[in-house]
Amino acid sequence: MTDGAGEHPAPARGIVAWAVASAVLMTVAILGAFFVAPENADGDIQNILYLHVPIAVVSLAAFLVACVAGILYLRRRDERYDEIVAVSIGLGLLFVVLTIISGSIWARGYWGTWWRWQDPRLVTYLIIALLYGAFFVLRNSSEDSSRSRFSAIFAIVAFVSVPLSFYAVRRAQDSVHPTAIDSNGINIDGGIFAWLVVAQVAVAVVFVTLLKLELLQRRTDRALGKLRRLLEDPV
Amino acid sequence: MSALRQFRALVLKDLRLELRTRDTAIAMTLFVVIAMVILQFGFGTRETDLTRFAGGLLWVPLTFAAVLGVGRSYVAEREQRVLDGLLVAPVSRFVMLMARAVAIVGYLLAVQIVAVPLLGIFFVKGPYWGDLGWLFLACLVADIAIGVLGTLVAAMAVFTRARELVMPVIFLPLLVPVVIAAAGATHAVVGPNDMAQYRNYVLFLVGIAVTFGLVAYATFDAVFDD
Repeated sequence: MTDGAGEHPAPARGIVAWAVASAVLMTVAILGAFFVAPENADGDIQNILYLHVPIAVVSLAAFLVACVAGILYLRRRDERYDEIVAVSIGLGLLFVVLTIISGSIWARGYWGTWWRWQDPRLVTYLIIALLYGAFFVLRNSSEDSSRSRFSAIFAIVAFVSVPLSFYAVRRAQDSVHPTAIDSNGINIDGGIFAWLVVAQVAVAVVFVTLLKLELLQRRTDRALGKLRRLLEDPV
Repeated sequence: MSALRQFRALVLKDLRLELRTRDTAIAMTLFVVIAMVILQFGFGTRETDLTRFAGGLLWVPLTFAAVLGVGRSYVAEREQRVLDGLLVAPVSRFVMLMARAVAIVGYLLAVQIVAVPLLGIFFVKGPYWGDLGWLFLACLVADIAIGVLGTLVAAMAVFTRARELVMPVIFLPLLVPVVIAAAGATHAVVGPNDMAQYRNYVLFLVGIAVTFGLVAYATFDAVFDD
């Protein structure tokens, strides 16, 4: 399976490159956020936003990836898209949990409380976590013949309901959440924004690396299973 | 047979089955009444005027009743193998989707005919009865959203191993925007009588119903594509 150019097969070498890029970018982002970026008027606790905001953005991007993969699966019935749906939602859920945890730490430092039900974004993220947690209940409870189809349908329906939930919660209560970018433009210092962009790229690369790693592992497992079946029953 | 006649036949089948067995709408109604009585004892004895909580007091029981009713909607068809017959019949999936959604809307409206007046009797102390038309309009739009989404989700859940568990776990989080908007519309009418806010919530409910309708239309075929 190797291409003769090195000791690792080609997909594994690709993963190594992504992993190295993730490590370098995350190191640059963390060092830049804590030591180079302009000091924030609200104190050190604001530095957590260099991770919190990019993780939140990437979590939603992961669900978008799952939705697109779901649509592609329903059109082409290619199992690779089903794997992308499952892995993307798993990673997206992990990033949502990290968003909630980092947001709670920030809220404790800034508002003096771990959680505020008055804040629509916190509440919406909780709803999203519950929604995508349900994906695994559906997937695990589905028969083999319908698992991929139901996963794809759920990925589409759930992603459509995310903006509806955001809007509904926001209508129901006034937001107390700080907003970096709104209809008036960018509300933060240019230096802070630049490091936020670096952190955003770093977290996005980490997501892609994890996605590729998990997909590679699943494909390897499948290939090994096929090989095992072939060895057990050569005919 | 034209699509309209197929649709009519399927809706009548569901409603006739319900009229004969009386096991879904009546159970849903009883559930809502029991839940509202419990809420009355839980909150009403401590605070006499619960008008400002009217949205939640109506829509929490209705949401759980919807989950129960919608979850049951395919069970009999699956057990009696009616679904297999329907799937091989020359009926478009879209007609099946719309017929089932209309039947669910019918069940929900039957429940609301009891639940909405009960809200006024149990919990609201201010003027209420003149606003019933607005409340039922909000209920109808919310029911359409619940019916369309519920048909799609129930069709998937009925083919899973733990369907009784899967149905509420996947349906409830998807219903959150509907519940927030419906409760908001109810509160806007019953509480401050803010008709501008009511209109916004109802328009949002229309948007949700249309959005879920389009998604269900686009994906419903794939549920049965075995």
